[in-house]
Amino acid sequence: MLTDAQTTSMAGMGQRAPGDEAPVVEVEGVRTRLGGRWVHDGVSFAVPRGQVAALIGGSGTGKTVLLREIVGLERPTEGRVRLFGEDLAAVTPARLNALRRRFGLLFQDGALFSNLSVAENVAAPVQERLRLSRELMCELVNLRLNLVGLPPETALKRPSELSGGMRKRAALARALALEPELLFLDEPTAGLDPIGGRDFDRTLRVLADSLGLTVLLTTHDLDTLYDLVDRVIVLHEGRVIADGPVEAVAQTEHEWIRSYFMSRQTG
Amino acid sequence: MSVVPSCPPDGLTQADGAEPTTLQRETAPRHCWLTTEDDGAVLHLTGQWVLDHLPELDAALKQQRIDPLRPLTLDGSRLGRLDSAGANRLIAHLEGLGLPFPNLRLSGFNPQAETLIRLVACRRSACAGPPLRRRGMRHALGWHVFKLGRAVVSGLAFIGQTGQAVAELMARPALLRTRELTVQMEMVGLRAIPIIVLMNWLIGVVFAYLLGIQVQKFGANVFVVDGVGLAITRELAPLITAVLVAGRSGAAFTAHLGAMKVNQEIDAIAVLGLSPWQVLVLPRILAIVLMLPLLTAVADVAGILGAALVADWHLGVTPTTFFDRLQERLPMQTVVFGLVKAPVFALAIGLIACHNGFAVQRDARSVGLNTTATVVYSIVAVILIDAAFAVAYPEIK
Repeated sequence: MLTDAQTTSMAGMGQRAPGDEAPVVEVEGVRTRLGGRWVHDGVSFAVPRGQVAALIGGSGTGKTVLLREIVGLERPTEGRVRLFGEDLAAVTPARLNALRRRFGLLFQDGALFSNLSVAENVAAPVQERLRLSRELMCELVNLRLNLVGLPPETALKRPSELSGGMRKRAALARALALEPELLFLDEPTAGLDPIGGRDFDRTLRVLADSLGLTVLLTTHDLDTLYDLVDRVIVLHEGRVIADGPVEAVAQTEHEWIRSYFMSRQTG
Repeated sequence: MSVVPSCPPDGLTQADGAEPTTLQRETAPRHCWLTTEDDGAVLHLTGQWVLDHLPELDAALKQQRIDPLRPLTLDGSRLGRLDSAGANRLIAHLEGLGLPFPNLRLSGFNPQAETLIRLVACRRSACAGPPLRRRGMRHALGWHVFKLGRAVVSGLAFIGQTGQAVAELMARPALLRTRELTVQMEMVGLRAIPIIVLMNWLIGVVFAYLLGIQVQKFGANVFVVDGVGLAITRELAPLITAVLVAGRSGAAFTAHLGAMKVNQEIDAIAVLGLSPWQVLVLPRILAIVLMLPLLTAVADVAGILGAALVADWHLGVTPTTFFDRLQERLPMQTVVFGLVKAPVFALAIGLIACHNGFAVQRDARSVGLNTTATVVYSIVAVILIDAAFAVAYPEIK
């Protein structure tokens, strides 16, 4: 639980003064050695507030590992990761947890708590933070489920009773529960049908615009890149080989990038 | 609209006919207050309309006397921060009063806040029913009765299917998965020997020591052999061994099969055209039925060795005397009786463990629940079966 002082200071930080702040996410010269090979060999980029950025790259290029390093679940072998301007290697565990309350993470397969219903999953982060009456909590849970497009009858189901796409939406509702400033999404549209995927992208776009939400996602979905994303960061063989708006990246002369963007026309 | 005061004067709430209490005067202006204009009422919003302040926002809204019959304008010109939880509370409250969102006018909001309000208004559903349900007494009772009934039916079905698999195996012995069977025999039998020996040796030591104190009072030291031999071979060794195996191998069966179920591996076996019973269940049940009597025999030896040690040290009964008297006083029948119980215990443990493994739902929680259930039920079953044997063959030679 947060003390009052912490909550107030966090609310204060949440006030978005434009232009006077460090990037929300900053990755600086990250190198990671896994299984005897350098998965990342000097990756650097920064995501400013309000931007929706996508990490793309072939399977095994370490997108998910990088995301785990950014949220502090793993440590890079070398290099530095800063969240909200704070170096993750230097913060205390308590400070790290305070930082973690300011972002939401959508895991690849949802990672919903299997002993709770969908509604309880969405309510869980809120219950840890503040005491709400039953009515307010119900209303809040309903809102979250509606925002991510889950039908109300799913609220009482357990995660094991949901389809893959539904589980993903429920997980997004949980990630949004505390009104995060920053959202990490690991493969958000994988497992959704194309219509649901585009709808999901639009919801994220509107939330990002209206909440000033910063989003960093990994994806394989070309449509997501064109619909949702402001900026694409391409990882290849441990390095960032292209970084910019999707149209510019698509024009880059690189074999992997060309075949990636060609896959839509031919496929 | 143009005549909006820069700060909320106290008198303004009275203009609406509301009686301002001290509470209202203190809290209401913090988040919202109401003014009347020529073309209807205006609800001015101020401060932080965010999740952290939700209870106060709710209270502040409930204090406003909003007339649903007059047009209402929302003024966001002094609004600090707005998030979806705050926007939702506002819209829900007004809707509850009979002022649906399309009838509201918005003024002075920054574009970001206005997009957010419109998104929330368009996505939220009026009343989706309570998503957090509390279970009543009747509901809980019915649920448990239904669950018990289902468990009985599925247990019987499991026994039936296992019986059918055994019949198939007898008709076609080639179906036997010898590799899996030997692996399981090693896991259940061989690897359990150290713990079984240690536990039963200790039980033998303790039992001989306590019994020794009693027989010493009568100077009948050598009678410790009669008591120890009977107790260990007939009751203690079979029971302790079965309980240990239930906790060790029973839990392992359930956890392994349950994790395979979660991973859809059992479905994969079925889709390959194999029977999960032949591949998974029968090797485990056969292994435990074959190994438990052997482990019990090991346990008998370990327990008696422990007792012989104490008899030598504590009671002055030399090993030669001890084993001579054991030969004389412990009939083979008693030892066999203890060993005959073992496969029956084993069958119960194996059936319970495999059934609970197959009954796992597709989530992590039920693996834990079913593993616990396996250990509890199989120990209960072992003790009940033991009681039935004791009643059926009460004579002790």
